[in-house]
Amino acid sequence: MEHINAADLSTSELNKKIIQGLKAGGEVSIQNPHSMHNIATGLSRPGTVTIQGSTGFYTGGFLEGSTVIIEGNAGWYVGDNMMDGELLIRKNTGCNAGTYLSGGTVVIYGSTGSRVGYGMKGGTIIVCGSVGAWAGQMTLGGKLIVLGKLGADIGESMYRGAIFVRDKDAEKKLGSNVFLDHIQAGEARELEELFKRYGIDAKSEAFQVIRPLPSGRHSYALFNPELKPELAQKMRS
Amino acid sequence: MNSTIKKDVEPKDVQHGIWNKETISEIDYKAGAGKHRIRGCGATRYMPTFDDLMVLPSQLSRMSLDTYREDCDTRTVLGKRTATRPLVIETPIMIAGMSYGALSKEAKIALAKATALTGTVISNGEGGLLPEELENSYRQSVQILPSRFGFSKRNIEAADMLEFLVGIGAKPGLSGHLMGNKITKEIAEFRQLPVGIDLHSHPRHGDAFGADDLVVKMEQLRELTHGEVPIFMKIAAGRVRDDVKIAVKVGVDGIILDGAQGGTGAAPVMATRHLGIPTMPALVQAVRTLEEMGVKDEVSLIVSGGVTDGADLAKVIAIGADAVAIGTGAMVAMGCRVCLRCHTGKCGFGIGTQNPEFRKRLDIDGAAERVANYIKAMTAEAVLLAKAAGKTRLKNLEREDLRSITLEACAMTGIPLVGSNYVFGERFGFES
Ligand SMILES: Cc1cc2nc3c(=O)[nH]c(=O)nc-3n(C[C@H](O)[C@H](O)[C@H](O)COP(=O)(O)O)c2cc1C
Repeated sequence: MEHINAADLSTSELNKKIIQGLKAGGEVSIQNPHSMHNIATGLSRPGTVTIQGSTGFYTGGFLEGSTVIIEGNAGWYVGDNMMDGELLIRKNTGCNAGTYLSGGTVVIYGSTGSRVGYGMKGGTIIVCGSVGAWAGQMTLGGKLIVLGKLGADIGESMYRGAIFVRDKDAEKKLGSNVFLDHIQAGEARELEELFKRYGIDAKSEAFQVIRPLPSGRHSYALFNPELKPELAQKMRS
Repeated sequence: MNSTIKKDVEPKDVQHGIWNKETISEIDYKAGAGKHRIRGCGATRYMPTFDDLMVLPSQLSRMSLDTYREDCDTRTVLGKRTATRPLVIETPIMIAGMSYGALSKEAKIALAKATALTGTVISNGEGGLLPEELENSYRQSVQILPSRFGFSKRNIEAADMLEFLVGIGAKPGLSGHLMGNKITKEIAEFRQLPVGIDLHSHPRHGDAFGADDLVVKMEQLRELTHGEVPIFMKIAAGRVRDDVKIAVKVGVDGIILDGAQGGTGAAPVMATRHLGIPTMPALVQAVRTLEEMGVKDEVSLIVSGGVTDGADLAKVIAIGADAVAIGTGAMVAMGCRVCLRCHTGKCGFGIGTQNPEFRKRLDIDGAAERVANYIKAMTAEAVLLAKAAGKTRLKNLEREDLRSITLEACAMTGIPLVGSNYVFGERFGFES
């Protein structure tokens, strides 16, 4: 295990040291990350990087193949554009976690802010706590799994993919252009495997699935301006 | 009473002012459909153009160059502010990003081949990077759009230049738009979408909400590209002064400024007609801002939107841009007749379509050659003007070489009115 003290390093110095460390031993531990931005950007070496603390924006952006573990909280956009590998966040994250995810797995053991999995195209995001509004907005593929409470407008305008939820109030929190469906046997098995692998205490039976409307013809506010003449009349009197 | 005047003459109101046929058909459409109209191509209404500027030739005060025997350099270096591998192109004309989806694969390949024939750069546009485009292009620019359809780290690795897209002139503030009839199986797979949907992508980047985040995003992109590749931001002309300042502070190597005339494959007519400001005043404002900030020589400026010939190119460069991007013009060179119906996907020339039968009609190599010829001819036209103005490099054209022929252009550009030294408005950079 290589130990790196990030206290006096610039982002690119740190990222270079991470690559050297992984080359040498396959395992790197980072002390004093001090909420630095852009840690492990585009990292593509096999191995494990453990960050002993909290990180700033874009941790593990474009990650490709390595395992990155954040022992604290992560800032906005953690795992953005990630291609492959694993990103485990032990605590909470800011907004837009896993934005544009293409592949790999992001596990947030705590809660996350709004727009988790925004525009994701593949891969898996698991949130053990709650999520903010617009989770999985414009999803084009992949799996978003939420164990805790949902925010408003989940799955708004998703085109493909699936969002697994067990919040009993899910029906009331759906975005437009999606519907709530039963979980299929194959999906349940995949969830069980993921839960086992990442040490998450949950059962797949409890989950329902949010899917895009099969028509693919999305309805939007702009196309159907909702004018309410009856209401206007009432207000006059 | 004069008996030669006939009684009961019906006067003829030939001119209908705003109640012309176009207005009436617009209203008819809305009265039927209950929604706004979508159309291909940029704005067709009148907007001020570079034709309102003239280039001053050299006579006794300066020596001209020999048009036929002496050289005028057009090689252009873009993005040298921080990138360690700036982009070098042979002529300051790039092919604007036009998506594979809006255009056919054959059209994209032809455009890419044209860049190889002329030594310039093509931008991929929305919806992924076609391998055949990359194989055939001389230099490849890759767009990072809010939708990220078909986008991945692989695209970034292939790029000679990156374009972080903020907006396009035809529909600034709106997102990408591809009609369902163009989303064939092939396009759907490429963009990772279901077949046949009407696609309305999002207008904001999910991984950069606002200018402060963009500073960090830029650092990320530099990390990814090892600081080698120039990073541009494509901005639609609106609050040009503010936007240019922000882009420069965020740390870009260059700006692509797309004026309100800019083309598109599909956009609401409202947007093309009424959003944004025209290319010429936008360019002036951008140059002024870069000069005020003291970064004019570092930050490259590419301008697009209604650029059609070498005169536009020469004037744009004289005002202070480094290069132009052409969209619609390149399509016309391939055979497009600007029918404004790109959005239907029924382009009989095989350019703005995904229909397999229509696509066969485009002769790729023939189209590539025509686009290359167009670029060469445009370059030659600009060079002709530059030499007549006494320049050994196209880039040496300057504002002092221009005059406005209309009050409007004069007020908008700060370039003196012909036959006088008056500027009706803010002066722009030189006293005469
Ligand atoms: C068919 C077509 C498709 C376009 N697709 C894109 C696109 O995907 N991304 C983009 O940034 N601009 C797109 N544009 C805008 C062009 O990049 C460029 O800004 C514009 O065409 C310049 O104006 P001009 O057509 O007058 O030269 C498109 C334009 C056309 C005509």
